[in-house]
Amino acid sequence: MTMTETIAPMTSRERVLAALRRESVDRTPVVNPTSVATVELMDMVDARFPEANREPELMARLAATGHTELGFDSVMPVFSIIQESSALGCKIQWEQKDNWPTVKMGEPIYETPDDIHVPDDLLERPDTQCVLEAIRILRRELGEEVAIIGKTMGPWSQAYHCFGVEPFLLLSLDDPDETKLILQRFKEATIAFGQAQFEAGADAVTLPDHATGDLVSGEYYRRYLQELHHEFAERIPGPIILHICGKTVDRMDSIAQTGMAAFHYDSKNEPAESMAVVDGRISLVGNINNPETLFAKGPAEVKQEVWKNLEAGVQMVGPECAIPLQTPIENLRAIPEAVREWHAAGNRTPTTAA
Amino acid sequence: MPELTDIANEFIRGEIEEFIERPEERDRLIGLFVAAKPDQQDIAAALVDGDDDVVDRLTQAALGGGTPALEVMDDGLIAGMAIVGVKFRENFIYVPEVLACARAMKAGMAHIEPILSASGIEPYGTVVMGTVKGDLHDIGKNLCIMMLRGSGFEVIDLGVDTSADDFIDAVEEHKPSVLGMSALLTTTMPNMGKTIDAFIDADLRDVVKIMVGGAPVTQEFADDMGADGYGKDAMACVALAKELIGVTARG
Repeated sequence: MTMTETIAPMTSRERVLAALRRESVDRTPVVNPTSVATVELMDMVDARFPEANREPELMARLAATGHTELGFDSVMPVFSIIQESSALGCKIQWEQKDNWPTVKMGEPIYETPDDIHVPDDLLERPDTQCVLEAIRILRRELGEEVAIIGKTMGPWSQAYHCFGVEPFLLLSLDDPDETKLILQRFKEATIAFGQAQFEAGADAVTLPDHATGDLVSGEYYRRYLQELHHEFAERIPGPIILHICGKTVDRMDSIAQTGMAAFHYDSKNEPAESMAVVDGRISLVGNINNPETLFAKGPAEVKQEVWKNLEAGVQMVGPECAIPLQTPIENLRAIPEAVREWHAAGNRTPTTAA
Repeated sequence: MPELTDIANEFIRGEIEEFIERPEERDRLIGLFVAAKPDQQDIAAALVDGDDDVVDRLTQAALGGGTPALEVMDDGLIAGMAIVGVKFRENFIYVPEVLACARAMKAGMAHIEPILSASGIEPYGTVVMGTVKGDLHDIGKNLCIMMLRGSGFEVIDLGVDTSADDFIDAVEEHKPSVLGMSALLTTTMPNMGKTIDAFIDADLRDVVKIMVGGAPVTQEFADDMGADGYGKDAMACVALAKELIGVTARG
């Protein structure tokens, strides 16, 4: 499109779906592919951890605050990364209101690929059902107004949970064939849970698969995951937002070739450089820093980071990852405010009309 | 002035030539390996290659042949890890490769530690280490602990998911010179600051130096929450621990 075209006002959902397709939008959407739940929001709507991770009504109620209280264009009910692991039988530390549920990776449930058993009723287990029901509730409550983002764990992250991070990373070096077999055996669970979330009403799913530059090389991503991620893009029936924390610019070219709709990227990567690497082949979403900016600084600093993303032409802005639970609400509200201020000043990205 | 060509082991020569770019590090490593006996160079080479079986065998052979345990550790294992540390810092290798080298170091240390313990060599000091509350990741912490122990520190490992109260109890019990906290998640990093605040509230902040690290942690974050130091990786952790307690060389 040209810069002189005018786009009619969009709903939040329309805006997010267009940005996922790298189409024109009326303004850059504010999106959270991962959790924006905070203790303050939990108290505000009386839906607290750990129950809000296990009871669909509470999960949906807390997720809705991303739109109703913060003004984001999306809601995201899967606050943690433990739902499938719990369903597979991993030991979970459910924690309390002020802490995240975590898989006890020091007590792995598998040692070899032959140990992997994805049960036929994976999607009927309480912690997977909870997500599906929460998505149905959100769709019912929010209608077509807001984009609903689900989450299905990628096989690399799932292997960390089930085999333990250290044993799995050592295996990846010692026995590449066994490693590939493990990834293959987790693959169908990733696809099935993603598909079920679209059927429940999700508009997109985040697919965390933590092959981060803080742990493994870009060559690892190409060797073990690029093809699998391409398969997910082909077989999961809707837009996928790949999430990998940390330094990833060295593998963004490979990620951009997978056919996934978007990549959720971290503040360790420069927006302009990242946009240049992906070169219009995948949308970027991110990359407001969590620990130093959203958690510890103020709205003015948050806005500076938002504007840096907008100036680089990033298609969707939001926190880089799941935010600390004690993040101040005013810092989160500053993200949509910054987007509106930037556009109100007459600024445009390549996908926002004049 | 020792030259690269003075190093007997071809693999070590190649590693230094290919991966060690900073002149001061290159000079230090060349000096270190030129001074090391060929047997220790072989141990270092096997460690850099991540071959725990060879390290195990060569360490036993060196000790059996009468080489002092401290020499095998310093000139073989630690010297090898110095190359590994630089390769990791410069992104020539990543965590799986470092874990393989750490596994090899562990294989060698299994023979050396009992000898050092029995010989009564005093440690530089005691370090209490733990991953903060809510965080169950421990690879980085474990690498730091291994390097600290290998460098002459006594380390008390509190494991993962360590509450502020657990850190305080450990400091009161073990009276360490340094406390090290690790976090991998941006969601749990704030618990480092909370732990430091708990030490202030308990009037114990001045009794111990506090260092922090972990993939998402930065110097700025460490400064903001009042830590005494930040280490980017396991090698930096050892250097920082020594700096915090004023160590310059093995005494």
